[in-house]
Amino acid sequence: MATAMTAQRMEMLPAQRQVLWGWPAVINFALGGLGAGWYVIAVLAAGFERSPAVTAASWAAPVLVLAGFAAVAAEAGRPLRGPRVLMRLRTSWMSRELLLGIAFVLLVAADLAFPLRLHRAQAIVAAVLLALAQGFIVRRARGVTAWDVPLMPLLFLLSALVSGAGAYLLVEVGAGRPPLPALAGAVLALIVVAFIAWARYLVWTSEDSYARAVAPLREGHSALVIDGVGYGLPLLLGLLALAAPAVAGPALALAGALLITGQVYAKARLILAAGQLRPITLAIVPSRRRSS
Amino acid sequence: MTRWGMAIDVRRCVGCQTCTIACKQEHGLPPDTAWRFVADCEVGEYPDVRRVFLPMQCMHCAEPPCVPVCPTGASRQRDDGIVWVEYDACVGCGYCAMACPYQARHLVHEANGYFEIPTPSEAAQARPERHGVMTKCTFCKERVDDGLGRGLQPGVDADATPMCALACIAGAIVFGDLDDATSRVSRLAADPRAQVLMPECGTEPRVYYLAD
Repeated sequence: MATAMTAQRMEMLPAQRQVLWGWPAVINFALGGLGAGWYVIAVLAAGFERSPAVTAASWAAPVLVLAGFAAVAAEAGRPLRGPRVLMRLRTSWMSRELLLGIAFVLLVAADLAFPLRLHRAQAIVAAVLLALAQGFIVRRARGVTAWDVPLMPLLFLLSALVSGAGAYLLVEVGAGRPPLPALAGAVLALIVVAFIAWARYLVWTSEDSYARAVAPLREGHSALVIDGVGYGLPLLLGLLALAAPAVAGPALALAGALLITGQVYAKARLILAAGQLRPITLAIVPSRRRSS
Repeated sequence: MTRWGMAIDVRRCVGCQTCTIACKQEHGLPPDTAWRFVADCEVGEYPDVRRVFLPMQCMHCAEPPCVPVCPTGASRQRDDGIVWVEYDACVGCGYCAMACPYQARHLVHEANGYFEIPTPSEAAQARPERHGVMTKCTFCKERVDDGLGRGLQPGVDADATPMCALACIAGAIVFGDLDDATSRVSRLAADPRAQVLMPECGTEPRVYYLAD
């Protein structure tokens, strides 16, 4: 027989992995962040002056951002309607992302054609806003438990800067222009801040559905690659570079490659593995049966 | 002011999926797409287990998170509360599906049927404008609008009522004007046992569930 009980919120439909956003979305978020972050780091490192590092970033970053847009356009059901994406600037972060990406590319192009500190400053603002916009796109995905987190825009900005710092270190060491110790120290501080933010994100709430959604980011292979390869090893290599200048070049180049690897992998896992649609819940009275 | 809504009595639902099929038939939905379905849920833990049938569809929220995120303006909300998609404006990015907490948005990938060659019924119901775009329950707005134009009352007159409510063999689905205090749906929505799905999302759904 059944006895009366109070209603409890029960999980009726379990969380399911989202399937609409795949690798093209990952490529957009990864390349967009990488390009934007690389440009910001290069210009800041040069003190807004024109330098070989800024020139390299100025050519590569817009290509990366546009490649990201091209990838995600290929995922859309009606890619030829792409220009319509600019129509909801007032409310949609996806519209804003495209506008900011276009603005970034045009400002960098303007700086290449007519070098001005003002262009560089404006392009940096566009790059930062582009990284934030990508974070807000994910943040506004209310149907996905692990994405609907207020920390997400900051997380995407820090990820862009970390991966951008990685590209900067890799290219500059490769070009025979090893960065100054002060810059290497700043990158190490950035890595620490980004890791703290990431660690905070993983425990943002104690809700069971959230813990299950971010589990793919916390456990096993993901933890090894994101935490170990993406943050831990670059930090150690950076410290090694500061302590032993003789091996600074190779150490920083390797650290740069690992930073990019870690951030791209983290975004891939965030979109593909942690992209769990919310479980559907309903408040009902659970049945209580007694044996006769 | 009219505010369309629905009340679903979970206690009456027998999980027959007639509403699912009626919806697919009415809208000519392809094999891999269902704008509504009845979830067969087992809740609790042995031996305290209960089986519940939960009809799922778009909640036509008062604060629909799918509308503001849409980058093209294809996702829209009418003054009467019906949330719909302007197919010709949709780019098929899937953002609205990510924003919906109720898994109510569906991308129709391509023109496909149940067999290699479209059946006469499928050919008659072909909707090429829906390929590559997001689709969802519309509260059968064409039936509602057409019925209103003919002086009928949606939720009361069959020809003006959404097909799922019309087809339900148990009378578990009630459609009508939530702003009309005399309507059956508004009385059911005011029932102490009525609730919306996941109120913590702040979307203010206009589909109410009666459960105990």
